[in-house]
Amino acid sequence: MSIWPEERVHALADDGFETVDMTINVGPQHPATHGVFRMVLTVDGEKVVDCEPYIGYLHRGLEKLTENHDYRQAMGWWDRTDYLAGMACEMAYCMAVEKLGNISVPLRAEYIRVMMVELSRILSHFMFFGAFGADVGSFGTSFIYGWRERERIYDFFEEVAGDRMFPTYFRPGGVQMDLPENYQDRVRWLLGSIRQGLEDFDGLLVGNEIFVERCRGLSPVTPEQAIAWGLTGPCLRATGFKFDLRKDEPYSVYPNLKFDIPTGANGDVFDRFMVRMAEAWQSTLIVEQCLDALSQMEGELVLNPDLPKTLRIDSGECYVRTEGTKGEYGVYALAKGGNKPYRMKLRSPSFCNLSALREMVIGTYVADAIIILGSLDIVLGEVDK
Amino acid sequence: MLFADPLFGLPTWIDAIIRIVIVVLVMTVFVIYSTYGERKLVARFQQRLGPMRTGPWGLWQGFADAIKLVGKEDIRPKNADRWVFELAPYATFIPVLLTLMVLPFAENWGVRNLALGVFFVFAVLGLNIVGILMAGLGSGNKYALLGAVRAAAQMISYEIPLVVSLLCVVMITGADTGNGVGTLNLNTIAALQEDRPYILLQPLAFLIFFTAMLSELHRAPFDIPVAESEIVGGYFVEYSGIRWSMFQLTEYASMWGFAVFGSVVFLGGWAWPFGVDSHWALQLATTFTKALAIVIVIIWIRTTVPRLRIDQLMNFSWKVLLELSFLQLIVNGIILYYDWPQEILALTSAVGAGFLIFLIIRHASARSTKGLLGTYRTLGASSS
Amino acid sequence: MSKSLAPKPIDQVVKLLEQRFGKLLVTINQTATDANIDCPPEHFRAVVEELKNHRDLAFDFLRNIVGIDMLEEGLACKYQFFSYKNRQAVQVTVLTPPGNPHIPSITDLYPAANWHEREAAEMVGLVFDGHPNLKNLLLDEDVRIHPLLKAHPLQKAEILQGIEDATPGFTF
Repeated sequence: MSIWPEERVHALADDGFETVDMTINVGPQHPATHGVFRMVLTVDGEKVVDCEPYIGYLHRGLEKLTENHDYRQAMGWWDRTDYLAGMACEMAYCMAVEKLGNISVPLRAEYIRVMMVELSRILSHFMFFGAFGADVGSFGTSFIYGWRERERIYDFFEEVAGDRMFPTYFRPGGVQMDLPENYQDRVRWLLGSIRQGLEDFDGLLVGNEIFVERCRGLSPVTPEQAIAWGLTGPCLRATGFKFDLRKDEPYSVYPNLKFDIPTGANGDVFDRFMVRMAEAWQSTLIVEQCLDALSQMEGELVLNPDLPKTLRIDSGECYVRTEGTKGEYGVYALAKGGNKPYRMKLRSPSFCNLSALREMVIGTYVADAIIILGSLDIVLGEVDK
Repeated sequence: MLFADPLFGLPTWIDAIIRIVIVVLVMTVFVIYSTYGERKLVARFQQRLGPMRTGPWGLWQGFADAIKLVGKEDIRPKNADRWVFELAPYATFIPVLLTLMVLPFAENWGVRNLALGVFFVFAVLGLNIVGILMAGLGSGNKYALLGAVRAAAQMISYEIPLVVSLLCVVMITGADTGNGVGTLNLNTIAALQEDRPYILLQPLAFLIFFTAMLSELHRAPFDIPVAESEIVGGYFVEYSGIRWSMFQLTEYASMWGFAVFGSVVFLGGWAWPFGVDSHWALQLATTFTKALAIVIVIIWIRTTVPRLRIDQLMNFSWKVLLELSFLQLIVNGIILYYDWPQEILALTSAVGAGFLIFLIIRHASARSTKGLLGTYRTLGASSS
Repeated sequence: MSKSLAPKPIDQVVKLLEQRFGKLLVTINQTATDANIDCPPEHFRAVVEELKNHRDLAFDFLRNIVGIDMLEEGLACKYQFFSYKNRQAVQVTVLTPPGNPHIPSITDLYPAANWHEREAAEMVGLVFDGHPNLKNLLLDEDVRIHPLLKAHPLQKAEILQGIEDATPGFTF
């Protein structure tokens, strides 16, 4: 019986069996691909011999849309790139427009932005813990653990901006409106809940022998490899290379805040997980400091009042990079007059991290390939633009 | 061999058919409610409510699912091998059903009371793999093929420790029967545990049995043949409707079968702690309570632990469980040959069980010492 | 490696680049965020090799590649480099003449360039000579359109939703 016409059963060679590598198509509809991503694995038994990723199933023409929209209108599209942390994308977009148009941002707005971005980072990392646990095989329990905290943060986002995933809350020159009255209590309660959630994940996954055995030592990456492949964010820091744009090319009010850059040691899957765990913890500290700073400047402006109704930028060119939740989230912007950008390009961290997938999975098991893909923490909205 | 006199003095073959029908019907209801129960239990572990809409507390959910599954279209892929594909569910289902024929649910409550009951169960369960391989090869799907081959490798590996751990118990029954000859009759094994269940004498054998059982059932953490996040269901990925539900039926029936079997061999079955002379209803309740406890533990483990990788799975079987089970067998032999007291039996086995548990959780201590594991909480203190 | 270095100011990077590339046919200026090298395609390989290998430059990280349609000027390609060692950033702009959008590929120097070049190639129609696998990445493999060319038409609905004149709001 020949099931696969393209792979004829080879004749028995003189010295034994001649085996044929099998290709397995993973995706675009597959539980482990976190969206619509497809990779074609060539396997020899259970070992991966080759891997070819295919992306673009979620391509929405972000850059073309941005070129054809007003500076303020286009921001809604950018929420939808990294849809797990929409505010972090808005931050990069707004910073690019502000850089082009020399727009100043009130200090209170900067603190609000940083607070919301760090909450988004926590949110995105919680999604990662949950989804990664499911990839390793913990039957959805980790998923639900992650969702509990996510829902609480989303509730707060909804109260602040009126939407959960795609708030479109930032504006070039500030944020749309001030925070709700009770935000201090809300966020402080949220932080306690987040820390409890991290402890729960620590117990559920990191305290589990099987989880540790599965992840430790899997696909170790050296800093040199990571830089050559273009890995950024937690994947780079897991190799032990201490680089975080929030510290090393500081922007917004990050220089005023105190936090650590957690790094790993081996660059393996386990370190990538733990770096995100520590990062989420650091983000709670940042949010706390933002709350303290915000309480000192109640009632101040949150949006630059001198902006015209339609932003017009004569010329300019910039490449703004921020530390997104997955890595370096860069926005290249070129203005040539008018109310629309001439060209805007997203340098998405997931895209670049994913391009290194092939090198990472070759030689591992099929089950490990799934985990390695999960450990990169890709968001297909960001990969496919 | 019959359990007791035929029901109402009927001919033995009619009596057998009546008993089989009762077992199958009861089992079907059990399967329907164990899917419901599993969903409810898992939901509680995951801080959800589970099915709530179909009837009070979602009680009719199982029946609704069954009706939905029966009504679904029975799809056969174009490049599937027709007969292999269509017969595979039966080839997995029938062996599991056959194991239920020899289980004593209470004293003299069962279909047939075979002298070689333990032997029969494993002889028949070994056929299960044929159906799984048929499903994997016949589907014409690479995920299914991978799943079937994984299942075959896994079941062959884990059957050895499973059988050896049961042999340990069978050896001990020799000391209990009085004539020095062990028994493979499940009814007798249960009756011999009137004073103490064999888990007290053989905790290591029970641990090995339980682990190997999880593997035979394709339950987490040994669910790699059906790994949802990798090969999307494994060997039954191409099945739908009634054929898919037969695989589900097989899964739950074998779970209950193994649970009753384990409770009979290790937990004292219907005899302990109420004695062999207790009322049949009490005996029945005792057996099912013990089986239920095993099922709940299986589900509990499923919701908590991640999945092993194929090489780790093989290593665990061939390098840990196999050695320990043979060690237990040899130690049992020495103790029984010199007629040492049974306390020594229990002690040696407990030491072995402790060693196995240590092997399983030996990296847990690393949490507080190594790398980022214990330190991420304190990272903030150094800078702010 | 682990100590945090401050990023180098742009004018210092510009000065450094002028020392290195003063003799070559490149012009050095700066954008709002980075130093910029304008470089014709035929000198591009030499410039990038120098950027990567010279001790004072050591641009070891390719951040991004942007393909831009500059209308009658031709297609432009912008490369953002970063040096983890010296904490400095530079942008290299290559402007190809109209009708000849060929640029040498740098995938052998920077493996990270692989997907970026594929994306730029399909989006604006640049051709990277020496790229191992210049298939479409985000678009369908047999599609031969370049959506980010300014001439590529938008659908009518999208034109209506964009603001064509100064009045904010939607004009349906």
